[in-house]
Amino acid sequence: MSPGTPARSVTAQGNYAGSVSRFLAYAIDVAISTGVFTLALAGISYAVQVVTGKQVSWNRQDIAVTVIYVAWEFFYFGYSWAMNGRTAGMAVLGVRVVRADGQAIDPWRGVLRALVFPLSFLLFGLGFLGILVQRERRALHDLIAGTAVVYAWDARAARLRFLAREAELARIPPDG
Amino acid sequence: MTAHRRITDPVEAMAQRVAERVVDLVLDVVDLNALIQRVDLNALMAQVDLNALMAQVDINALLARVDVGALLEQVDLNEVLARVDTGALIDRIDINALLSRIDMDALVEQTDLGAVIARSSGGAASEVLDAGRSQAVGLDQFIDRWVQRGLRRKKPAPVAPRALLDGEDTPPAPQSGAPPARPGEAPAGEATT
Repeated sequence: MSPGTPARSVTAQGNYAGSVSRFLAYAIDVAISTGVFTLALAGISYAVQVVTGKQVSWNRQDIAVTVIYVAWEFFYFGYSWAMNGRTAGMAVLGVRVVRADGQAIDPWRGVLRALVFPLSFLLFGLGFLGILVQRERRALHDLIAGTAVVYAWDARAARLRFLAREAELARIPPDG
Repeated sequence: MTAHRRITDPVEAMAQRVAERVVDLVLDVVDLNALIQRVDLNALMAQVDLNALMAQVDINALLARVDVGALLEQVDLNEVLARVDTGALIDRIDINALLSRIDMDALVEQTDLGAVIARSSGGAASEVLDAGRSQAVGLDQFIDRWVQRGLRRKKPAPVAPRALLDGEDTPPAPQSGAPPARPGEAPAGEATT
């Protein structure tokens, strides 16, 4: 069995998600949200230039840009968690935010989680240590918002897809 | 032969003949069917210990003498099946228990079901997604195993929130000395999700 092959008769669905899945999901989210923000700024610059004829340049040091960016990040994460319990990056990695008891997340908890999320960055990111050492893999912002992150993809179905592909390949003659 | 025997033997023979004749005459007169109709067979059967009777019967020897093939030839199975209430029959079957006994892996590998799944469940994208997620979960478990070992935790951590714990989906309990079971942990020696 090749590395990464879905496990036999095992589903990770509903179990607490681990650090790598969550970090990768977060990295994808930062890439997506920053990319969308940059595209939006570029679009606004283009529109202003077309309408007024003036060229607008955005400076990363500009406090207004920073404030808008932070607000956008709050909106991106808060809206995603409140509405769906997952961001785009979490959807890719197959993880989801739920209430600590496993029930679907309430919208206000999603917003609260986004608001307290920066706290986990404080003290050199010690708030994230909970993902590694806390029994339920909950970071500081999870503990405050009363949430947890779980795997939301069905590994058993993934394994069946894998076996199906393998069986299909085995039926094809070597000559093609 | 003694004098006593010389007298008794002819008398006994005559008595025997008389008795037989009397019985014949009585049977000719009595209507046995009418007599049987007056007998309460249920009360009679209630007094019979059927279990004791059956205990004396060698069922295997009895069945060995039965020609099942010939018996089945005489049975109209279609008619029998037409009288079966399949709905009630299915209601009595625990479908979940039945399905849990199916080896889905073998089913997918050895039948055309695999081809159907392979053709219907997306292409390269789902394959990449499955592999990526599996790798991530595998790394999750690898890191977690070392962290648990470092923390020297003896009591296994919960694998999932209470509401999401499912009897079938709960990973097996960790072996003694092994790190606590974690999300999606597979038996030793197998790749993990």
